[in-house]
Amino acid sequence: MTRARVLYHLARADFLERVRRYSFLLTLAFAAGLAFLTYSGTIALELDEYRGVYNSAWVGSMMTLVTTTFITLAGFYMVKNSIQRDRQTRVGLVLATTPMSKSLYTLGKALSNFAVLAAMVSVLAVAAVILQLVRADAGSLEPGKLLAPFLWVALPAMAMTAAIAVLFETLPVLRGGVGNVIYFFAWAAYVGASGVAGVNEYVGLGFFMRRMTGALKRIDPSYNGSFVLQAGPTAHATKTFLWNGVEWTPQVVLGRLQWVAIAIGIAWLSALFFQRFDPAREGWRRKKETPEPAEDRTAANGASAGRAAAVQLTPLTPTAHGSQFPRLVVSELRLMLKGRRWWWYPVAAGLFVASLVVPDIQARQAIAGFAWLWPVLIWSQMGAREARHDTQKLVFSCAHALDRQLPAVWVAGVVVAISTGGGLGIRLLIAGDLPGLAAWLAGALFVPTFALALGVWSGSSKLFEALYTLWWYVGPMNHTPGLDFTGMARTPFSTPFYLLATLALLMAAYVGRRGKLGYA
Amino acid sequence: MHLIIDQAGKLYQGKVWALRNFSLTLRPGVLGLLGPNGAGKTTLMNIIATITRATEGTVTWNGAELGRDPDAVRAVLGYLPQDFGVYPNLNAVEFLEYFAAVKGLDAASARRRIDELLQLVNLADVRKRPLGGYSGGMRQRIGIAQALLNDPQLLIVDEPTAGLDPEERVRFRNLLSDLSGDRIVILSTHIVSDVEATATQIALISGGTLVAHAPPEELLREAEGRVWEWVIPSAELSAAKQRYQVSGTVRRADGVHVRMLAEFAPAGAVPVAATLEDVYLHCLSAHRAHIAEAQGR
Repeated sequence: MTRARVLYHLARADFLERVRRYSFLLTLAFAAGLAFLTYSGTIALELDEYRGVYNSAWVGSMMTLVTTTFITLAGFYMVKNSIQRDRQTRVGLVLATTPMSKSLYTLGKALSNFAVLAAMVSVLAVAAVILQLVRADAGSLEPGKLLAPFLWVALPAMAMTAAIAVLFETLPVLRGGVGNVIYFFAWAAYVGASGVAGVNEYVGLGFFMRRMTGALKRIDPSYNGSFVLQAGPTAHATKTFLWNGVEWTPQVVLGRLQWVAIAIGIAWLSALFFQRFDPAREGWRRKKETPEPAEDRTAANGASAGRAAAVQLTPLTPTAHGSQFPRLVVSELRLMLKGRRWWWYPVAAGLFVASLVVPDIQARQAIAGFAWLWPVLIWSQMGAREARHDTQKLVFSCAHALDRQLPAVWVAGVVVAISTGGGLGIRLLIAGDLPGLAAWLAGALFVPTFALALGVWSGSSKLFEALYTLWWYVGPMNHTPGLDFTGMARTPFSTPFYLLATLALLMAAYVGRRGKLGYA
Repeated sequence: MHLIIDQAGKLYQGKVWALRNFSLTLRPGVLGLLGPNGAGKTTLMNIIATITRATEGTVTWNGAELGRDPDAVRAVLGYLPQDFGVYPNLNAVEFLEYFAAVKGLDAASARRRIDELLQLVNLADVRKRPLGGYSGGMRQRIGIAQALLNDPQLLIVDEPTAGLDPEERVRFRNLLSDLSGDRIVILSTHIVSDVEATATQIALISGGTLVAHAPPEELLREAEGRVWEWVIPSAELSAAKQRYQVSGTVRRADGVHVRMLAEFAPAGAVPVAATLEDVYLHCLSAHRAHIAEAQGR
């Protein structure tokens, strides 16, 4: 079998496995949602007070920008599980015993990732055609101008996203939640920098920015250079300008195709870190663990078959069984914190103390924000741990799994929120800022509840890690009123909003878990 | 103490019946659940363990119907699923302490019980080692300890000896026998010798229906007079396999000793005592013939 054929089947099997899952429908629904928001004008590209005339070139370019901006972020989290799935299903162990090379495997996974992302791009491309037909200001449909940006900008961006996802999966330190958080900040920094520099980066923001702002400046020399992909109901473009699109010269096309080549390079490079599912080399933390225990040693120590009967089990008295809720909370808390590295605790303590004693309000605001970013990987386990470690049957067959274990997880999460962000809470209490304290408390209830609900419904920690990091960046980091759940930048509605959201999410978590139990 | 399964059925994705019209009453003792792959054994155990809800019929534990009061059985249940995971960062003691808390055991009782269980499953020496470093057999043993934590009145074990070495298997069989006196144990396995050694009752399932349910002695009596041993030359083995239901062959100096099931013995065959494996093959073959006949009609 040729290498190309192996690559094709590797990617095909992975792609089919994905598209036959419900999560793929959600993926397409996300793309359709993006298309609708663009169609309705909630997401719009604005150059100061201008927008382009809705011709094929503008619609294709704008929709491509929406595609690449959102899907290079969200799509990464959606596809960053292809190697993990082979690990969980143990198919990887079988693949590892075949003659397939490591580079072929990582290339195959990147190709499968790319196919999933390309399916999302297709949804948005179809939406672009509809948008142009429905909202055309001028001209007829020109398929070439409409679809060329998808072909030369969106697809190379997807190739890069697909390859980066594989790279993250092969690097042990980036494989888990840390990688999810790091990707967000790396992406935000990259997109931010490319927007400023206007360079030919893979997302395409700088690529279009340079050309569109240049075209508008030629029409209106007083144009201030503003270029914003606006998301929200406050579109304020009052003027239009004619954008005739990118001239797709061979040089421009080659410039875009270089990202496909780089993506292939990244996927190939990933093979250097891919350990072929070798359990002894898979995780950087495993090195610290004790070696594989000798089964023979315990057996040899142990005793003959006859000795088993000598061990007597003390019958449990009826009083041994009880609610024991506080003990369960402590157990859940211990389970959440187990596996944290030693340095996690001093950093958490440092953030606690700093948010309590730092006098400068802006610095305190930033520290308080970081104090609630630090435990993100602890919260993200909530509700998802049983699915992740395949312990559902053990936990869900215990009595009161719904009305005792689930609340215990929630309480433990709230304890983490109060413990890590408590410095700010104490500070507000000392200052007598009771509305501030109430807003902070609402946040302390909201964050773990958000994690629990997303964990229960998605069965994965990734959704919370991605959404929470994004929310944290927009809210506490940028002090957006209303979105800052630390209560530092609050509106009069913040506290009731977060309390109500907590209640709604708690109910969602309850209903979600109830649905997972055979008999609730 | 009794568990009554009444006309239970489970329909998957609205089209595949994994279990149909299944009725069984259980009292203290070990029920060996036997059946081919896909017979519905795991579905049945998942229903009794409250993991999945029966599409039709009822399951009642000491008068409490699971649909209305699932916690009645969960409070007294020990369950070892065929496939389960562990929390890799916890050691054996921490893992069992966690499940003791989830099961609502008080701290003192849990500590004593965990010590005893770790001795029992022979993991006391590695009690402080993270479970992520355990081998498959050791994980299976921690699963067994987990199932026994709350001193269950109803113990359900699905392929419990998978991955255990022969010595551990014997230990576990002995343990099951010891435990069965005052509780109901449901043991599902493909290893007939495990059932032979422990079961007081046997339920044979095929195609989601109950084929047979009786004490082993009764089932063995049914197969008596149908099991033969026949010594033939190697060259005739293939023809014999086509003609009779062969349950085993052993090559010896005088030829191949063929163990076979048949209503009438071929010339030269001598009757031998039936084993549970013979019973299993006989019942399944009779059941399939019955179904084929019903479909032909």
